[in-house]
Amino acid sequence: MITGSATKGRTLGRSSEETAEHGGTSMAQHRTMSVGAAPPLTLDETFEALLVDWEAVALGGGDHRQLAARLEALCAAGCHVFLISADNLEALDGQLGARPSGQGRLHLCCEHGSSVFMVTERGPSLVARRSVEGKADAARFAAQWLAERGITGRLILVVGEEPMAIEAQRHHDLDPARSLMIEALARAAPFSLGPRAPGSEEGDASVGARLDALLALLDNQLARRANRRVPQIDPDPEWVLPLPTTQTTERVVETLGTLANGWAGTRGSREENGHAAFPLFAVSGAYDDRNHLLEGPLWTELDFTPNRRHHDRRVLDLRTATLARFPATDSGLRSLRFVSAASPHVMGLRAEASVAQLEPGEPLRAPAHGARFDRRVEAGDWLAQTSDGDEQIAVAAGDRLTRLRELAVVERLATWSRGRRGEPNGAVAQRRLLDARTAGFDALLAAHRATWASWWRDAEVSIEGGDDARADQLAARFCIFHLLSAAAEEGEAAVGARGLTGDAYAGHVFWDADVFVLPALAAIRPRAARAMLEYRVRRLPAARAIARARGLSGARFPWESARDGTDVTPRVVRGPHGEQIAIATGGHEEHIVADVAWAAHCYATWSGDDAFLLEGGGRDLVVETARYWASRIRLDRAGSGHLYGVMGPDEYHEVVDDNAYTNVMARWNLRQGAALLTGSTDADEVAEAERWRELSERLVDGWHPDRQLYEQFSGYFDLEPLIVSQIARPPVAIDVLLGHRRVAASQLIKQADVLMLHHLVPQEVVEGSLQPCLAFYEPRTAHGSSLSPAISASLQARAGDTEAALELFRVASRLDLDDVTGTTAGGIHLAAMGGVWQALAYGFLGLAAQPDALAVDPHLPQAWSAVTLRFRFRGRRIGIRATHHEVTVCCDAPLTVALGGRAPQRCVPPSTTLPLGLDAATRARKEAGHERRAGSR
Amino acid sequence: MSDELAHADQRSGPAPGSEASELTQRTGYVLAALDTTAAARPVLETALRVGEMTKAEVKAVHVVDGATEHLETLVERAGVPLRLLTGPVEGTLLEAMEAPEVLATVVGARATPGGKRPVGRIARHLLERTSKPVVVVPPEALAPGTFLRLLVPLEGTESSSRPVLQALYPLLAVDVEIIVLHVFTDKTLPRMLDRPQRDLELLGREFLATHCPLATGIELRSGPVGARVSEVSRQHRADLVVLSWSQDSSAGRANVVREVLGTSVLPVLLLPVASASAASDVPRGLAAGEHPATPEPRKASAP
Repeated sequence: MITGSATKGRTLGRSSEETAEHGGTSMAQHRTMSVGAAPPLTLDETFEALLVDWEAVALGGGDHRQLAARLEALCAAGCHVFLISADNLEALDGQLGARPSGQGRLHLCCEHGSSVFMVTERGPSLVARRSVEGKADAARFAAQWLAERGITGRLILVVGEEPMAIEAQRHHDLDPARSLMIEALARAAPFSLGPRAPGSEEGDASVGARLDALLALLDNQLARRANRRVPQIDPDPEWVLPLPTTQTTERVVETLGTLANGWAGTRGSREENGHAAFPLFAVSGAYDDRNHLLEGPLWTELDFTPNRRHHDRRVLDLRTATLARFPATDSGLRSLRFVSAASPHVMGLRAEASVAQLEPGEPLRAPAHGARFDRRVEAGDWLAQTSDGDEQIAVAAGDRLTRLRELAVVERLATWSRGRRGEPNGAVAQRRLLDARTAGFDALLAAHRATWASWWRDAEVSIEGGDDARADQLAARFCIFHLLSAAAEEGEAAVGARGLTGDAYAGHVFWDADVFVLPALAAIRPRAARAMLEYRVRRLPAARAIARARGLSGARFPWESARDGTDVTPRVVRGPHGEQIAIATGGHEEHIVADVAWAAHCYATWSGDDAFLLEGGGRDLVVETARYWASRIRLDRAGSGHLYGVMGPDEYHEVVDDNAYTNVMARWNLRQGAALLTGSTDADEVAEAERWRELSERLVDGWHPDRQLYEQFSGYFDLEPLIVSQIARPPVAIDVLLGHRRVAASQLIKQADVLMLHHLVPQEVVEGSLQPCLAFYEPRTAHGSSLSPAISASLQARAGDTEAALELFRVASRLDLDDVTGTTAGGIHLAAMGGVWQALAYGFLGLAAQPDALAVDPHLPQAWSAVTLRFRFRGRRIGIRATHHEVTVCCDAPLTVALGGRAPQRCVPPSTTLPLGLDAATRARKEAGHERRAGSR
Repeated sequence: MSDELAHADQRSGPAPGSEASELTQRTGYVLAALDTTAAARPVLETALRVGEMTKAEVKAVHVVDGATEHLETLVERAGVPLRLLTGPVEGTLLEAMEAPEVLATVVGARATPGGKRPVGRIARHLLERTSKPVVVVPPEALAPGTFLRLLVPLEGTESSSRPVLQALYPLLAVDVEIIVLHVFTDKTLPRMLDRPQRDLELLGREFLATHCPLATGIELRSGPVGARVSEVSRQHRADLVVLSWSQDSSAGRANVVREVLGTSVLPVLLLPVASASAASDVPRGLAAGEHPATPEPRKASAP
């Protein structure tokens, strides 16, 4: 804690602003006390909000015009200020008289916050009136208001006589109701104006000293903003991810630190790039002529010369989607960047280092690979374009350089535009740059933080428990962070398997998007899910053409697609033994046709957007895919329907007949299509619906009643009955270990296949078949696909084996953090991240969208004491918190909840708590799970 | 090369010898250790190719233990100076190999093809004691052409890759292609392979970026290392195999080196990993010679 008076503690070094060439009054010497858990304040930090205990500054009067002027300037610069006082409005506003304008807001929390006024140039206006017990309530109001704008913890400065951290308050036995340092501000920076002298009165020297100290503090903050110093992040360990620091993982770090807003993404490369760097700026849906992601001009590079023994730290702030870099020594680079969520075509970067090391250099540079690159300077700003074929990405950028004696500070704003070659993409990007500059870096960053705060309000996950649970929580938040970053909310969203975080898989769209990513977004960003489906809707003509080319009806979506929806799956590769392998996925992995239909249904079910399914693009998706299956199914002499020559999710067995997953999904697709056509006024459609129903009944599904198992495909049970654990510890790419042929001749499988049915369409499988199918297939599953562990985690949790579920969940949630696949350098595994959300929602919380209710059936592992998930459900904002004993449902409108298979009950806002009361069957399931685990060990 | 192949290619950056290729002739020389058996010819021919690769003079030595006329004719035709030495074979040759000017020595693996051991006794003792790179030439080696393509099997740990490259690059004075071969070990076997065609390419790309940025390509394989080296050598028409070497051929050590020497029809350049400390940094793989054997799966009980 800093004090403005020289009372106690050690002296801190002078901040850069004290030596600035311009801006600000020099601070008096600052001193600190080592109080509480908050790190010591150096004032080499820029705060986004100030909470000031007015009684610490003013004692009943005085001239505060200087203070008012500073506060107005600070608000104009974008900083929020809360003055918290015991006085009423007349007294407080009468003393201060500030009339601020600009992005920052001035709040007067009068009478300990019982009435809160926002002050603008037109004067104060009441924004809240509440009953309070003390100033702590005002602080809570401020903390909540700021949190809704993404301003938390260390971004807030609390100014008082002697504000103390929570622990110190306890130590000194202070009344918490009177303190501004509440729990929600535990990481805030405390700034002490010094204790009031006993019996002091207005005009006391101590009063003047405190006011001077506050003025100096405000001057320091104004100077930092005027000098465009690098903003800071709140180093909240529950939200901030330290990125690995070793050289060998640089490209992995770049992937993990990617910032994206669904429209565009920038990898987390160092500003100087350096050894083994692969910087990338990509725009969703922009593909080159080879149907690979088109690399856009790079906008984050600086001419920075690191010292030979250079070390730095990079951290990803998940809460605000900012990437920050800190030097380990005084001679490194400090930076912060963002890809705006509020203004999707805007990006910003600030960096500072010694003038000997840092020059802005050319702000736009050529990408690593391929595309044609043009660059020029116009009116002092840079414009660069990459183009290939008909596609073009334009980026405009401009720098502002500030020199503060030995310190160089660079502020860069960049804007982008994508379009066809020949369109005025460059001019659009330049116009956007002018708009961005008018708004200003600070305002853009503030809007970006606020937008992410709003995204997290519908997506936050909390996992309570010990250290392991906290690690699980951070890993889960990392996954959800990238899911939120993956798709835009307008137009169409082509979500590639690696999102916008790398060039792996060329940005192609697989079933990963429909079955793994979309369910999460349907709940946490429904409009983004809708945009993903729009990508499919707009490619229906291409899918119909593929079906026609095969002599079939309806729409056949390709296994891999890019810009125009044609099949871009590669045909031949060489395997790990040097052999030529024909790629069968494009020709045979047809389940994607039903997967697309399922995605449309999933979105409509969770979002409540029935119109999309009944009369919009969703109807076309379901009907046209059903039509495809109807033409694809062959009847044998006995009249049974078959799908010959297909490949299921288990790609170890490439071309098989009657894959259970494909057949059952096709059956579901036919039934859904028939249901949509039943009410049609077109007689042909009604007749078609009837044919589809009949066909769905004839289609074999591989169910063996004698074994109580689905057979994965025709003849699977005759294969060599190997199990994974006797060969290697899963997850393992067992096809590499044993060879493709050996594995194909065995019952070893890559990932859930039959069990995907229990996951996606539980109503389509025989009741009670989950347990026997899990018991049979899980030991045969190598989890050799990144898509696999999360789905198995979800199923294991539902089946009651929560410890097995947790083990798999941890593999999935840390897949990229630990680079489990060795390929994270090429981008994150977005489907696995979608699977992680599904494991939390469908597995551990047991959520399911029923026609008239939200089903909740939690199964938590012992290591977790509670799990909270926020999401949207049919227009409502929902929060479900489950412990081992009860479930609390938070909602903003009444919601019907079916808890643990019991009769639905009505939950009302703001929250309803329901006891869990495990029934005998559930208890037995859990015990069975524990026994099975014990046995397998 | 097919786009979809599971090996990376066309790496950016200068070829290893590009800077050194400006040099005319080096001050050091390549030493050909010749005997009077049929192995002398391939050893001498290999030494000449090593000389071209290093842009260094080739000199021959022979420890006299009988008639030398045939040998003298051989080296004379090749234009290589021959120094005849006397004394105990191992000690005398080792002394010649350790001369400061010697860049690398070329020795025969053994006198005749088909022997039980991959290298003969004398060659093994020399390999275990010398501090210099040694090219081991199998008796059945084909007459080598110019060394254009080197196959470098790497284990996939930084501590094992670094010594190989640090010792190899200084020898290269002309442009050569470096093909890296990685045979998956129990530590590098991928745990997941979503789309084998794409993921193996990615794995290869990252392997090169981490372990050998100047290589022109990589092959990823599983199975026995010796067989894979032979297979990939043929496939790429490699001229020379390059291995690090812990100089410890006791039981359980250097299995990879032993396996490759026992199966390769190409000359093998062994780069000694300096002494015990470096060797201790190489816990598995090339120097230590471990790779996962393909397990024999056991059958599950019927459902």
